[in-house]
Amino acid sequence: MELYLYIALFSPLVGALFAGLFGASPKTLLTGVVNSSLLFASFLSSAVLLGYVLNGQTVHVEMMQWIAAGNLYIPFGFVVDQVSVTMMMVVTTVSTVVHVYSIGYMDHDKGFNRFFSYLSAFVFSMMVLVMSDNFAGLFIGWEGVGLCSWLLIGFWYHKESATWAANEAFIMNRIADLGMLIGIFLVYWNTGSLQYDKAFAVMPTLDNITLMYIGVFLFIGAMGKSAQFPLHTWLADAMEGPTPVSALIHAATMVTAGVYLVVRANPLYHMIPEMGLFIASLGAFVAMFAATMALVNRDMKRIIAYSTLSQLGYMFVAAGLGAYWVALFHLMAHAFFKALLFLGAGNVMHAMDGELDPFKMGGLRKSMKWTFIMMTLASVALAGIYPLAGFFSKDAILEVGFVEHHYVIYTVLLLTAGMTAFYSFRLVALIFHGEERYKVFGFHPHEAYKFVLIAMSPLAILAVIAGSFKSTYFDMVTKILPNTEYHIHSEVTEWTMIIGTQLFVILAIFFAYKKYINFKGENKEFEKRLVYKVLINQYYIPYFYEEYITKPYRELSTVFWKKVDMKVVDATVDCIANGIYKAGENTRDMQNGNLSSMLRWMVAGTVILLSLAVAFGLAVRYADEISAVLSGLGA
Amino acid sequence: MLDHILSLLIFFPAIAAIMGFVVHKDSAKAFGVAVSVIEFVISLYLWFAFDTNVSGMQFMENISVVPAFGINYLVGIDGISLFIVIMASFFTMIGIASLGDMKKIKNLVITLLFLQMTMVGVFAALDAILFYVFWELSLVPMLYIIGAWGGPLRIYASVKFFLYTFTGSLVMLVGMLFMAFLYNQATGVWSFSILEWYRLILPLNYQLWLFAAFFIGFAIKVPMFPFHTWLPYAHGQAPTIGSVILAAVLLKMGTYAFIRFSLPMFPDAAAFFMFPIAAIAIIMIIYTAMVAYAQEDIKQVVAYSSISHMGVIILGTFALNVEGITGSVFLMIGHGIVSGALFFLVGVIYDRRHTKMMSEFGGLASVMPRYATIFGIMMMASVGLPLLVNFVGEFLSLLGFYNQSHIATLLAGTAIIVGAIYMLSSYKRAFFGEVTNEANRKLPDVNSRELLALIPLTIIAVWLGVYPKPLLEPINNSVKSVVMLMHEKAITPEGKSRIPSLENKVAMQTPEAEVK
Amino acid sequence: MEIGLTHYLVLSTVLFSIGLLGVMRRKNLLMLFFATEILLNAVNVGFAAISHYYNDLTGQMFAFFIIAIAASEVAVGLGLLIAWYKRHGNINLDAMSSMRG
Repeated sequence: MELYLYIALFSPLVGALFAGLFGASPKTLLTGVVNSSLLFASFLSSAVLLGYVLNGQTVHVEMMQWIAAGNLYIPFGFVVDQVSVTMMMVVTTVSTVVHVYSIGYMDHDKGFNRFFSYLSAFVFSMMVLVMSDNFAGLFIGWEGVGLCSWLLIGFWYHKESATWAANEAFIMNRIADLGMLIGIFLVYWNTGSLQYDKAFAVMPTLDNITLMYIGVFLFIGAMGKSAQFPLHTWLADAMEGPTPVSALIHAATMVTAGVYLVVRANPLYHMIPEMGLFIASLGAFVAMFAATMALVNRDMKRIIAYSTLSQLGYMFVAAGLGAYWVALFHLMAHAFFKALLFLGAGNVMHAMDGELDPFKMGGLRKSMKWTFIMMTLASVALAGIYPLAGFFSKDAILEVGFVEHHYVIYTVLLLTAGMTAFYSFRLVALIFHGEERYKVFGFHPHEAYKFVLIAMSPLAILAVIAGSFKSTYFDMVTKILPNTEYHIHSEVTEWTMIIGTQLFVILAIFFAYKKYINFKGENKEFEKRLVYKVLINQYYIPYFYEEYITKPYRELSTVFWKKVDMKVVDATVDCIANGIYKAGENTRDMQNGNLSSMLRWMVAGTVILLSLAVAFGLAVRYADEISAVLSGLGA
Repeated sequence: MLDHILSLLIFFPAIAAIMGFVVHKDSAKAFGVAVSVIEFVISLYLWFAFDTNVSGMQFMENISVVPAFGINYLVGIDGISLFIVIMASFFTMIGIASLGDMKKIKNLVITLLFLQMTMVGVFAALDAILFYVFWELSLVPMLYIIGAWGGPLRIYASVKFFLYTFTGSLVMLVGMLFMAFLYNQATGVWSFSILEWYRLILPLNYQLWLFAAFFIGFAIKVPMFPFHTWLPYAHGQAPTIGSVILAAVLLKMGTYAFIRFSLPMFPDAAAFFMFPIAAIAIIMIIYTAMVAYAQEDIKQVVAYSSISHMGVIILGTFALNVEGITGSVFLMIGHGIVSGALFFLVGVIYDRRHTKMMSEFGGLASVMPRYATIFGIMMMASVGLPLLVNFVGEFLSLLGFYNQSHIATLLAGTAIIVGAIYMLSSYKRAFFGEVTNEANRKLPDVNSRELLALIPLTIIAVWLGVYPKPLLEPINNSVKSVVMLMHEKAITPEGKSRIPSLENKVAMQTPEAEVK
Repeated sequence: MEIGLTHYLVLSTVLFSIGLLGVMRRKNLLMLFFATEILLNAVNVGFAAISHYYNDLTGQMFAFFIIAIAASEVAVGLGLLIAWYKRHGNINLDAMSSMRG
């Protein structure tokens, strides 16, 4: 089994290095094919491991020592258990699809080989993140995905907006990573180990405050990666990257790392329910907050990005309330349909020559039949309509909120579910239905390559059927996660809830269709309203960050350099040096070479020395008297 | 050979440099490369012959110089100094090998070889006077390198560099003399051997004064805030090779000396001053990172980033526990590799365009992809990305200090944020965007001569990031014995509590057993 | 009134002051030599007087040393002075400033 583990882990790395060799050379189809095959090999190995884990066994290897100093010992250790195998399956499935898809999508791009190198490197980092058996290894993957995200968001580096977004994402993640790092330090100094099993075994003996600190700092790390408020702005800007990147990194895998961390650290969070409640509340808030921004946005990819943000909020609600397996299940289902949605959006973008404004599209269902079908499927799944994947996972989260008596959270999530359905179908209606508004702009839409559509089909199938894995999945993961089953006591209540939710969602869909299916022109009246302005400007948060954090930081830096460093610190040094120099310059006249004046200086010096000698002599001689006088003064 | 390998390592470059005067100027570079390769091979042999299980000094040589005052030629190497010595010879080698067409290249090669002698000498010396001699001698070649091959402000910069560091070392010399005097008072014999000094337990007030005297000398060399302003000038004016060696090796003399002198000799003073120094380190980290962010000259960004990283090294050193000190020693190596490489990279672009202003560039990633890639890797190493060399050291340093103070570590940890800010924004300005300046459109990518220096550095940066064990293990062993010594010697409750006692005392090598 | 040590010392001091004043004021090199000689001899008087007072010959020995040294000094000095005069035509102190720093 170890062999499969290593294949699953390292074949993406091999792919990254292989494509990297051709990084600067023009496009070779070879890299795309080789990398996709390697990813497929990784997928197959993960599948084998999944079969092994389903039998109730786990794999744990220690490859080699990494850092050892003092009492600290960190190996490169990997574990394949019920939780990590889930993540591995999600990562390898989506990334294999995205790799194949990218062969078509990046067809005409100069950086084709470079793209595959980065993409495979990302998958490797993600695999390290999920498979590592210790916090330090997790951190390697954590930073690695951050790096690849930076590379891929800024892939089109000639675009100012892309590189800006890349830097924003990296730096914002770094802020959270500091929290994570502090969390890791706390774990080490309090438990003496960074291995999950050893650390979690010691944790019950720690006092509550320490546990709380560990939980808080680790969660700060999770907030950055999973773009939770207030570190969320980078995710929407990250849409500057190529669309396959958005599908893989900013929807399916990397952004869910935060959820994975909370699930992985479930023994810790289980002991601090207050923190869990905070996580859940923040998750619910973000779910709603992001959904509202998606309602009015005019950028196809950003709408989907906000939807991702919102769904991440759902996952945190589940994880925070202790339903770790539900969170993980929603993570998986979400990865499938959200990646599909993004890839569909990528097809649309390609057809529209990179246009992102759905208001300039419309009626595309005729020319892009398959994309239309798949995106609709994904949207239905996202909205949570029976029997698609989203229904099973999202409904479970709502149930968790209800059963745990957090009715506020429940209500927020329910409302958000309606909004989700609304903005998803607003998008579908605007893109695929109604008049063909794009004709004005001279676009000639065409369906994507056939192999691209075929590559997307596994995701479409999974988006439909993933819900049926629920019980198998539950049996598997609850071997290591708390098996909290949520059943509403009365069957009537349960059915009422399910049907009510479904009706509410369907109503939202109809409302979206009705409003946007025959969309003619923009509603100028609405755009003048305050609520629209607030939402389209993302609650003015990016503006706030720019004005009150970025700018002052830049100005303060300049002040530090030009004023403090040059005018104070360095000037002081120069001042001392100049003082000595000036003193030399002024006393230079003593050495004017005139024997007469030199002799006079000599005499003066002798007189001074003599008088000093006399003074000291007197002082020593009359020391007793002087001290008596001085002490008299003091008293 | 093993008996005198350190003397060979120290004096071989000097002898070769003297012989260099008779070498024809056209073959001067080849001569320099040959000498530095031999030197590097000897230093590798040193590593090979080094017993990693021994934590004390190895390859010791002891020749009496002034017996009346106990001044000896005493050299030796332990896990802390071994790798810095190897790094010094490595950087001299690739530095000479990658020299381009420069005026008076023969003089430059000879100067570099002399510099190498002083660098190896500083890290191998175990006698305070010998240490001081090499420490001061190292200023002379550097003064000459900056003053003769530097930029327009070279005289100002080199004189500032020389006088500033010289002033600091004079205070240090006074400290050394006083220390020897105290030793004489206590034992009745004169000795300048550091290992003998280790055995002396001093009362707290003496420790504080001596610590302060040594501190001035070391702090200016590091350089610590607010004594750092000579560094940007020196880097700004120095030729590429000068900056590389200055950043990679010479700055390490200060931090190394803290571990060699201040910590084991004055453990209570180190514990006493822990928080003031941590405050300085935090200022260094955040303040200089912000100053780096404001720079317009890419070389100044790297120069200020050096100071910021030295802050982390200082913090790790004054964590006073094994994790922190090991981390700081490893970070010295890491920072040497990374900042050396970054200065090389800046030199590459300076050779082509004769400017270092970031506003002159932009879009270089498409013109010089290989250059951009190597720069990117080194930038990420500098930012502290895991699996690259700096992360290991930074992680351990911060981890170590966390045990002493949570808040201070949290503040110092912002290094990973502010570091990313200035590095990424500089990289963006120079490499991303469209090519706006016509002069940049036809720039050639890195050539094979430059790759000769850059490829090994890249490989080392990755190797040590993934598999730091070969270095970490000997460093860890030696650091353990230092920490044990410190804990044993500590007399104040503060010192006892801040310096951890290690359970495994069997491995302790008492200094008495080492001195012949 | 018997002439005691005090008188000698006062004489020595007066002579010394005259010599000192001469050293400071004179601009002619030859005069400077005279002033120096007065200084030295002032000290000699002091040495001899104190030597006699303590009945210790060391002081007088010193006085002889000084006389010998003064003689050789004048010999060398006058030689230099003449050489200087031959080259420059004067022995004015203010004109001698080649040691200017």
